[in-house]
Amino acid sequence: MMTANIARATGEHVMIVAIAVVIAIAIGVPLGVWAARRARAGGAALRVVDAIQTIPSLALFGFLIPIPFIGGIGMRTAIVALILYSLLPVVRNTVTGIRGVEPSVREAGVAMGFTPRQLLLEVELPLAMPSIVAGIRIATVTAIGVATIAAAIGGGGLGTLIFRGVAMVDTRLIFAGALPAAALALIADAVMTMIERRLIR
Amino acid sequence: MKRLSLLFVVALAACSKHPIVVGSKNFTESDILGELVAQKLEASRCAVDRRLHMGGSLICDAAIAAGSLDAYVEYSGTALTAILHQPAMTDRAAVDRTVTASYARRGLRWGPNLGFNNTFAMIVRRDYAQQHGLRAISDLRKVQSEVRLGFGYEFVERPDGWPGLVGRYHLNVAAPPKTMDLGLTYKALAAGEIDLIAGNSTDGLIDSLGLVALADDLHYFPPYDAAVVARNDIDRKCSGASAALASLANTIDDATMRRLNYEVDGKKRDVAEVVKEFLRR
Repeated sequence: MMTANIARATGEHVMIVAIAVVIAIAIGVPLGVWAARRARAGGAALRVVDAIQTIPSLALFGFLIPIPFIGGIGMRTAIVALILYSLLPVVRNTVTGIRGVEPSVREAGVAMGFTPRQLLLEVELPLAMPSIVAGIRIATVTAIGVATIAAAIGGGGLGTLIFRGVAMVDTRLIFAGALPAAALALIADAVMTMIERRLIR
Repeated sequence: MKRLSLLFVVALAACSKHPIVVGSKNFTESDILGELVAQKLEASRCAVDRRLHMGGSLICDAAIAAGSLDAYVEYSGTALTAILHQPAMTDRAAVDRTVTASYARRGLRWGPNLGFNNTFAMIVRRDYAQQHGLRAISDLRKVQSEVRLGFGYEFVERPDGWPGLVGRYHLNVAAPPKTMDLGLTYKALAAGEIDLIAGNSTDGLIDSLGLVALADDLHYFPPYDAAVVARNDIDRKCSGASAALASLANTIDDATMRRLNYEVDGKKRDVAEVVKEFLRR
C-alpha cells in the first residue's frame, strides 16, 4: 500500500512540475525576449519577477485561495504558484541570452534583408538557446523541490508524504517523500544535460 | 593582567547563565501562550530564549524530552493521545491524573493549568449551517453525501482526530478530506472552497469570519485543558522560574483566550504587545 502511495504521489508530483514548467516557459521566454529589447519596461518586469520569488509560499496560497479561476484549493492553485516561482530563471536567462548576441551578427542579418521575425527566429533565439536551456534546467530542478508545497493546499504530490511525516514525526514517511523527490531532480538534471548537449552541438 | 582575568571571570559567569528556552507550536494561540510564559519568566528576571512557532506537538515534545526546550504550553487531551499514545478519555480529572503521572516519569512537570479548554471544533460557515439545519456534529449525517472537507495533516492522522470521529458518529462522508496547511483551512472555508474544517474552539476567527462551531453532542473529543509543561530542572537555570510559572494558574478562561486570539488573528496585532497588555491588567 505504501508503494502504491509513493507511486501515486510521484505521478502527481511529475504532473504538477511538468505543467508548471511548460507554462512558465511559454510565458517566460516571450517575456524575456520582450524585456531584452526594452531597457526600462524590461527592467521593471524583471524586478516584478524577482519580487515574486521572495513571497513565502503559504502567503502566496493565502492570496490565491479567494481568486476565481486560478485560485481555490487543490492542484491548480499549486501549479499557479509553481509557475510564478519558475519564471525568474527562465526570464532572466532569456534576457541574458538575447542581450549576449553580438551586434555585428545582428547587423549582418539586417544587411541580408531579414525581417524582424526572421532575425528573432533564425539569429537571436538560436544563439541565445544555451542560456535559455540553462535557465529552464534551473527552473525544472528547483520546481521539483518547491512542488512539495502543493501539499499545503491539498494539491497532492510527494509533499503529502513529507507533511504527514512531519505531523506524525514518522521519519520513514518523510523519507518516502523526500527520496523520490531527490531522484526526480537527478533524473531531470540528467535529461536536461542531454538536451543541452544536443542543442549546443 | 588583573583586569583581563577579571574580565574572564565575568565572561565565564555570563556564559554559565543559560537562558530558559521557551517554545510554542505552529499556531497563533500557542505563540501567544509561549510569549506569555516567556514574559512571565522575564518579569522574574529569568533570561529567556524564544523558540516560537515550531512544527507541531510532536516536535515540541521531542525537543523538551531532549532538553532543547525547557517549557511550552500543551493541551491535556493532546498529551494523552498523541504524545502518550493512551486511549482517549472524556473524564477531565482522570486525564489530568494520567498525564501528570506519565510526565513525572519522563522528568517533566505537567501544570499549572491555565484555566481554559481548547477542544477541537468542527466548524462550518453560518449560512451553510442555516441552510442545512446543522447544530451538532450528529447533524453532519444530513449532508454527508455532498459536504466538502478540508483538514490539517495532524487531524487526519491522529487517532483522536477524523478517523475516530467518523466511527463514533457513524458518518459515511462520500468525499475524502482534502488535507492542507491548517492555517489555510479557514481561508478556504471562508472562500467557500470547502464546507467543514477542524479548528479549535478558542479560535478568534470563528466569530470574525461568520463561522459556527458544531456541538460535540456525543462527547467524542477529550478535554484539552491548556497547561504549562516544564522540565523538572528548570529552576537550575533560573531560581524563580517555577514560582513564575505557578502564578499563571487559572488566569485565562475560554472567553479570554478567544479574545486574545482575536486581537492577533482578527486585528492583526503583535503577539508580544497583546501579551504585555494582558499581563498589565
